[in-house]
Amino acid sequence: MTKKPSKILVIDDDQDFVEAVTVILVSGSHEVTTASDPAEGKKKILSEKPDLVLLDIMMDSLFDGYSFCHAVKTSKEFESVRNTPIIFVSAVKEIAGSRFGFKGDEQGMAGPDDYIDKPVKPAELLARIDKLLRT
Amino acid sequence: MPEPLVLIIDDEESMRDACAQILLKNKYRIEAAGDGASGLQKIRDLRPDAVIVDLKMPGTSGFEVLENLRLFDPQIAAIVITGYATVDSAVEAMKKGAYDFLPKPFTPEELRLILARALERRRLALEADALRREKKLLEENIITMVSHQLRSPLVAIQQYFEVILAGIAGDTAEKPKEMIRRARERLDALLNLINDWLDLARIDKGKLVGKLEPLNLRSLLEKLIEFMNPLAKEFGVSLEWAGAPGPTAEAFGDKETLEQVFSNLISNAIKYNKPQGRVGISLREDPDCLVVEIQDTGIGISQEHLPLIFDQFFQISRGESKKMKGSGLGLAIAKKIVEAHNGQIEVSSTPGTGSTFTVRLPKAPPAGATD
Repeated sequence: MTKKPSKILVIDDDQDFVEAVTVILVSGSHEVTTASDPAEGKKKILSEKPDLVLLDIMMDSLFDGYSFCHAVKTSKEFESVRNTPIIFVSAVKEIAGSRFGFKGDEQGMAGPDDYIDKPVKPAELLARIDKLLRT
Repeated sequence: MPEPLVLIIDDEESMRDACAQILLKNKYRIEAAGDGASGLQKIRDLRPDAVIVDLKMPGTSGFEVLENLRLFDPQIAAIVITGYATVDSAVEAMKKGAYDFLPKPFTPEELRLILARALERRRLALEADALRREKKLLEENIITMVSHQLRSPLVAIQQYFEVILAGIAGDTAEKPKEMIRRARERLDALLNLINDWLDLARIDKGKLVGKLEPLNLRSLLEKLIEFMNPLAKEFGVSLEWAGAPGPTAEAFGDKETLEQVFSNLISNAIKYNKPQGRVGISLREDPDCLVVEIQDTGIGISQEHLPLIFDQFFQISRGESKKMKGSGLGLAIAKKIVEAHNGQIEVSSTPGTGSTFTVRLPKAPPAGATD
């Protein structure tokens, strides 16, 4: 089985998490590019045009990830990459939404395509990514 | 920041022009209105930083403008000008929230000075407001922030373990792998403890009451039982639901936290049961409440331990494996949640036969009875 290599942009301020998750993505034959804050993430999504974004919700401030996601999915600046699937990752379950449901839309925020809790199970992460890339 | 917007409200055109002339030299943006009503309209639509208002105008007076402008912006800088300066009208204007009072005629320098001071006071007040808001947001989210700070390093460690154990970072010999597996289990337990402890801190009666809504307890329990079936199978315990067809009355509750209560009680009943044991879950309606009973066929709880089991960190030592051991907070959380619902949780037990946990929850008020 040959898989077309896809490019994944990982936006996370935890360098250890980035390193571990990179190993997982490479093992799934994905190409990885990284950003350590939302500002760098915004530059990279435009310059690298990844096939998918893995986005930490809570970086410096509580809702960094939410505003990044909302900007990419709604603002004109990101029109060219608007359809890039985004997966939220978070160490705090109630923020990631897997436990309490996405709450950002109550404030009119555009939601992600999927959520996953940290720590991620390698096989599960790769399966979720494949599912989004297939659609 | 754009230049401050100043609105001049005066029925005399010459006065409006004079003020505008004076202020335009200081890089203000100027708007003007010829009467009180259209002045208020402009305050609403344009949101100026400062208002210079004549007290005596036909129609809506300067006093009425002063009375209303704070509805739109509590920190607006208001300066009153008038040709009929009396001590009484000055005091009255200040009482209604004017920052200062300028009797006609005044010099350009006086107007500039007073406006600059009024805008500086507004800037400081707005800064203080922003700091208060930020502090409030931080307070409201403090538990989430703490949770993130406590969990993040542990989660990074877990993530490395996951990668090593999956074998994708290179080969690891069986002995170190086994050690990492155990380390992962201990970390899991620590993460659960942090979650439980933060849950306990988070559950706040005031906040929960606002979220209460009519809730179909029966379907909540049926879904939960389905969800718990795999765990029951793992422990060789049968789950028996005796709530159907059951009462039709709805409870008045918060779905998220009640799911947490019942999943905790049911999983305890499964884990602390006998092999081939049974967990019975029932739902019935009493005159003033809905009653859920969760009955197990476990080893039971002795009389001296019964009053303590809802206490934080109380655990009965039964020599079970570390893996089965919870944080010791589950029942304390359940009790806190049920009581925040104005409900009750009780336990009765016969050592050797089993225990029964009874949860009573208030019924939803009849439709239309709430505000």
